[in-house]
Amino acid sequence: MSAETAETTEILLFQVGARLFASVVHDAVRIGSVRDVPAGELVVGTALGMPFARERGIVVASHGDGAERTLVVDHVIGVRPVTEAELHPLPAFAAACLASGAVTGFVIVDEAPVLLVDLPTLVREHPGAAPQRAA
Amino acid sequence: MREPQDLKRKAPRAAGKKDGTPSADEIVTVLRAFAVGQYGGRVDLARFEGTPLQEVARAVNATADHVEAEIREARQRIDTVSAGVDEAIEAMVRLVIQGDLSGSLRLGVADAALTPLIAGVGQVMETLKKFVTEIREAALQLSTSSAEVLAAATQNESSTSAQASAIHETTATMEELKGASHQIAENAQMVAAIAEQTLSGARTGEGAIKEFMRSMENVRKNASEVDDAIAKLSKRVERIGTVVEVIDEIADRSDLLALNAALEGAKAGEAGRGFSIVAAEMRRLAENVMESTKEIKNLITEIREATHAAKEASDGNKRTAGEGEKLGSNAMTSVTGILSGIQETSDAARVIHLATQQQRTATEQVVQSMGEIEEVTRQAQSGSKQATGAASELTKLAERLAELVKRFKVD
Repeated sequence: MSAETAETTEILLFQVGARLFASVVHDAVRIGSVRDVPAGELVVGTALGMPFARERGIVVASHGDGAERTLVVDHVIGVRPVTEAELHPLPAFAAACLASGAVTGFVIVDEAPVLLVDLPTLVREHPGAAPQRAA
Repeated sequence: MREPQDLKRKAPRAAGKKDGTPSADEIVTVLRAFAVGQYGGRVDLARFEGTPLQEVARAVNATADHVEAEIREARQRIDTVSAGVDEAIEAMVRLVIQGDLSGSLRLGVADAALTPLIAGVGQVMETLKKFVTEIREAALQLSTSSAEVLAAATQNESSTSAQASAIHETTATMEELKGASHQIAENAQMVAAIAEQTLSGARTGEGAIKEFMRSMENVRKNASEVDDAIAKLSKRVERIGTVVEVIDEIADRSDLLALNAALEGAKAGEAGRGFSIVAAEMRRLAENVMESTKEIKNLITEIREATHAAKEASDGNKRTAGEGEKLGSNAMTSVTGILSGIQETSDAARVIHLATQQQRTATEQVVQSMGEIEEVTRQAQSGSKQATGAASELTKLAERLAELVKRFKVD
């Protein structure tokens, strides 16, 4: 299958700490500024690690309750299409080793594997942040 | 005095006309012989017997006899006196030769005519005795005085010798002093020359310090102007920073909007592809702006640091200029003091030079005077030696005189 005809999926690339992560675009409601959100509603420390710059907040719709939570990241790289071939499920051994269930697989970006994260699951695993009422 | 024999021998005889009549001529002839001291002639009384000239003839003859008797008596007295005189002279000579003036003259011949002579000789002896006594006393005094003179002359000679030695040493010292004065004068002149040079150098230094102080003042003024410029620059930079912050905020929001647009475009699938492309482009622009603002911020930071450094440098310059002005002022005070000191040193050295020149002249005069004194002292020393010799000779003579006078016995 050629790259032009293959099915593509849009992923959102973001950075927490020194590591790059990816998520499907539908997991993110919008990208916001951390400054605009009260500190109590932010999801800062997650299984992805602790952000340093905390420049961006990815507003995530929490499954089930309709509330939104803002995942604090250091930087949002942008939206990028990837082919199905570049998407890989998480190996069973790796899934067994990881404490979080938010990591669903990995995607090859620029020939490097980037963890694919289920953002709603990630913010749910973080109990500290109060949910935001969706606008 | 003629001898009676001579009178008799030469007495004319009353010759004449014995055979004829006696005449007065015969008497006249005898008288004429008397007149020339010839008393030996007599008138022949027998021829004038019974003549008127008989008594005259007798008187003539009687006169002649009397005169002859007187002459004989006179001759005897003369002989007696001559013997007395001879005896007196002999006695005097004997007394003088023996030196015994204690006794008196006693002659074996007694004649009244010798009385004045004896009295005169006694007077002479008394006078001589007095002279001898006085001479003895004088000789004694002379001996004592000459001994004192000898001692004084010896002392004087010793003193003169010591004085000559002292004068010689003083002259040598004055010569050294003259040399030292000369050296001091030269040194003082050198000090004066050095002081003049130092004075010139110090005046140059004074000018340099004034120039330095003007430079420091200019540095301080320039530093103040730089301060003002830095303050204005800081305000401008702050203003730029504020503007950049606004731009950065706008760019950030633009980036955020572009991100959301891209997100929404991606969510929309194929329909939102064009929207995504525009959003990506917008995002790239926003990122470029943010990159630029970041660079501007960095530049502003660098400018702030540079202005801060410039401010500190300017403050340092002002402090340095202030300190430089203080140091210059202190240096000026010091140089003024140094100038004053050097001027005083120069004046003092000049005065010392003049004083030492005068001292040198005075010392030369003293040396000359000392030389003359030395010469005079040498002469005095020679005179003292001569005086000592003369005093010694005088002492000997006095002793000799005393010895001689001792030979005369007066007591």
